[in-house]
Amino acid sequence: MTRATYAELLNLLAGIALVAAVLTLWRRKLVAIVRLLAVQGAAVAATGLVIGIDRASVSAIVLATLAFALKAGVIPLVLLRLVRRGPDARETQPLVNVSASLVAAALLIALAFASTSAVVSLSSGPESRVIPLGFAIVLVGFFSLATRGKAPSQLVGFLLFENGVALVAVLAAAGVSVVVELGVALDVLLAVLVLQVLTARMQDKFGSLDLDQLQELHD
Amino acid sequence: MSVTRAAVPILQVVLVVVAGPLLIGVIRKVRARLEGRVGAPIHQPLRDLRKLLTKERLLPEHASWVFALAPAVLVSSAVATAALVPLVSTVSPFAHVSDLVTITALLLLGTVALALGALDPGTAFGGMGSSREMTIAALTEPTLLLSIAAISILAGTTNLPAVVASTLHRPEAVISIGYLLAIVALAIATLAESARLPVDNPNTHLELTMVHEAMVLEYAGPDLALVESGSSIRLAIFLGLLANLLVPWGIATTPSVARLALGTLAFVGKISLLAILLGVFEVFTAKIRLFRVPELLALSLVLSFLAVIIAVVHR
Amino acid sequence: MLLLFVLFPIAPAVAAAACGWQPWVGRVAVATSGLLVVGGGILAARVLDNGPQTFDTLLRADALSAFMVILIGSVALLASWFSIPYLTAELTHHHTTARGAQLYGILINAFIATMVFAVLVDNIAVMWVTIEGTTIVTAFLVGHRRTRHSLEASWKYVILGSVGIVLAFLGTVLVAYAAAHTHGGGGGEPSLSWTSVVEIAHQLDPGVMRLAVVLLFLGYGTKVGLAPMHTWLPDAHSQAPAPVSALMSGALLSVAFYAILRVKVIADLALGPAFSRTLLIIAGLLSLVVATSLIIAQRDYKRLLAYSSIEHMGIVALAAAIGTPLALSAALLHMLGHGIGKSVAFLGSGEIALTEGTTAIGEVHGLVARRPVIGVSFGLSLLGLLGLPPFVLFATEIAIINAGFAQGLGWVMAIAAVLLLVVFGAVLLHAKQMLFGIPDEHERRTPTATAFARPLLLGLAAFTALGISIWPIQQLLHTAARIVAH
Repeated sequence: MTRATYAELLNLLAGIALVAAVLTLWRRKLVAIVRLLAVQGAAVAATGLVIGIDRASVSAIVLATLAFALKAGVIPLVLLRLVRRGPDARETQPLVNVSASLVAAALLIALAFASTSAVVSLSSGPESRVIPLGFAIVLVGFFSLATRGKAPSQLVGFLLFENGVALVAVLAAAGVSVVVELGVALDVLLAVLVLQVLTARMQDKFGSLDLDQLQELHD
Repeated sequence: MSVTRAAVPILQVVLVVVAGPLLIGVIRKVRARLEGRVGAPIHQPLRDLRKLLTKERLLPEHASWVFALAPAVLVSSAVATAALVPLVSTVSPFAHVSDLVTITALLLLGTVALALGALDPGTAFGGMGSSREMTIAALTEPTLLLSIAAISILAGTTNLPAVVASTLHRPEAVISIGYLLAIVALAIATLAESARLPVDNPNTHLELTMVHEAMVLEYAGPDLALVESGSSIRLAIFLGLLANLLVPWGIATTPSVARLALGTLAFVGKISLLAILLGVFEVFTAKIRLFRVPELLALSLVLSFLAVIIAVVHR
Repeated sequence: MLLLFVLFPIAPAVAAAACGWQPWVGRVAVATSGLLVVGGGILAARVLDNGPQTFDTLLRADALSAFMVILIGSVALLASWFSIPYLTAELTHHHTTARGAQLYGILINAFIATMVFAVLVDNIAVMWVTIEGTTIVTAFLVGHRRTRHSLEASWKYVILGSVGIVLAFLGTVLVAYAAAHTHGGGGGEPSLSWTSVVEIAHQLDPGVMRLAVVLLFLGYGTKVGLAPMHTWLPDAHSQAPAPVSALMSGALLSVAFYAILRVKVIADLALGPAFSRTLLIIAGLLSLVVATSLIIAQRDYKRLLAYSSIEHMGIVALAAAIGTPLALSAALLHMLGHGIGKSVAFLGSGEIALTEGTTAIGEVHGLVARRPVIGVSFGLSLLGLLGLPPFVLFATEIAIINAGFAQGLGWVMAIAAVLLLVVFGAVLLHAKQMLFGIPDEHERRTPTATAFARPLLLGLAAFTALGISIWPIQQLLHTAARIVAH
């Protein structure tokens, strides 16, 4: 594919990932949020696929396909099962109201672009111009993680955050070895499984997935 | 300056004055058909306007000149915008002032005029409608500004006819994420500014749900005709702007009669299509609750902000 | 040969998986931990004679790694020895099930193996993978008891720990990116081996490296428990079973700080020493302030020990900030001493919790009078942790303060000394109530079971010996410190 198409595709996919991340701050229904997470994961994996195709690297393509199955398939399915378990876990309970969250997201995106100027100017390739978008997803995901009140939505925030980091990784270190990528993917999968088990236990023990219940340990 | 070139703004104004009510008629017809009714004919809004113009002019007891002047300001600002925006052609005598900021300011002038006019008689509904309208406007105006700014950055100029012309030359520029985000934000802002679903229901008179309808409650006769006409002109302008920013095909770049005719046809065709789509959309959408409207508008603001940032990076 | 170190603790994990938890499985774990200590010593000797040892391109042991292996081994030895009577008691009192004990046996040994792997690996990316692995392995260990509180603790631990570790990953990615685009040459796949990155460190772009180092310090700092990313630590370390708390406070925090030290070497070469020094001073002072303020009004003795860990990691961070060879040797020795001393304290607290049935400071009185063995060992470990002579932490704290004054960081050291003094007073007040004081009628004179006492006494002996003389590990400390110092 031509250089221009390649750059456009990268921009488009990263942009979709960022918009999906911002939309999770807007929607209230947990099922919709998990679906947005799936879209976002698909976009991030597709970015890896495009880069792999451009470099004609078989290992990168295989990895991207695996990542796609994981981020857009397995993990959202696990989360959906979780959401459907709890009767009161249908809507999110943000600690910051939606409009303020969206404005905060805009500010965080601006911050991400401002702080990564050194990264962008280091390399002249089209990948490095898209890295700030990845950083923006990281910050938005972190904000989402910190301001959500229900366990599944905090999990979604964590996964958004992690997808953002994966996007930056795929764009920046476009030469990191297969072993490391596999290890990372495995770690994420295990982390999600652990969190899923913990959420299930939380549902059993506390009877709800409200994180406000987790306030008994304090000084 | 050739005659045809000077005729462009006049042509555009006449078009939107006639096409505006027709658009409203199209939307109502589409909705009626989808809901299983026959519905009024498409030119019914024009007949309503004619009927209203023949009626006696009534002013409320405590209204001042603001109330009397507001419909005129609304219509004249809308007409001025119609003359400037590239609807039928990108060449016009006013092309060099047809700027992003000018257009937004003119549209805002109309909104504020109507809001002040509704506030003036001192009725409860009028005040309520104004305050709701200004809440919405406070979020839509920055969105309008930012989304058109994003498109301007991508095109390299803030002059709207030049933007449309450059998109005509490079249609693939539309597929970039920055452009698309700007268009989406602009679409949401359009729905909000023209008081259509899901932001505001144009067919309701319930206190809980009215925004625009609350503001025009006190107007009667010719004043009401002006207000309705002004709103429909604004809708036509927004839809025309959206269409030409997305798909500028058919717009006249030279002031020849044939090209202008083609441009007129293209414009009418595009906004009719958008009106039909809008009608279908309205059938399947519910109005969102009033306290959720700022959330939707904040989303469109963030999307337009994102579009600007992506546009800046993309250059 | 280096691979054996990682495989040693896997053996008891496999045994636990196969046969469920039995006392003999526990003894196998003790044996392998002992092998870790001994093997670490042999490795250290070999490294000091012949230079860093490598195995395949993946594993590499220099003096710093060998020292960490000894540290992990010592704490693991105490923790696994204590686990045997601890688990037996938990099973008899029905605090846990057979399956729970089996899971514990598998996970705790996998935990030790992962930590050893982390300090022996030469690749900054694989180092990251192993440290993330420790979070996953310990998640269920923290929640072992399945109570509401331990569930809350493990949720916070996993979320915050994972967020931190993902930040560290982002930092690692940025380092790889900088390495691939060095000003000198670059292009092609960069090697992520720590040694190669150190070689080209001076060519790495400073703008990118600043962002990378901040992310890495934030990320690994979360695992170390440095403020402001410490909020998971008191919950996790107080709710986990005592041997797990000992391993986490004693070993895991030090392993995470080891990662910070490795990053610091790269950072100092790429950005000059001032950058990491500033970051570490901020983290260290903040940790001391947080720990001090929350120890004063503390009402739970396990949380008290957890905050004390935050305090000690703050001291280690300040020592690393100073950066001279003396300060860094002191830092390493402080980690070792803290590891052993904190283990004794946590294990003792575990025994106290089992017999008294409560972790509240106000409900335990007169331990020295009623139950001399446990009272004295717990008390001595606390005194050692407070930095009293003849325990080793006294010498290290003095050395750190000296080095700080010599480097012009006098005001930092003064603040730290004042805070340490406040902690000293607060902990003594709390301890006085627990150790002395008049026992209530319902508190009985149960003698400490020898099974519990033996690991405590061994630990105490090691702690004291370390304070008297560090002769066997002195050269190892100096060589290890030279790797990081400038």
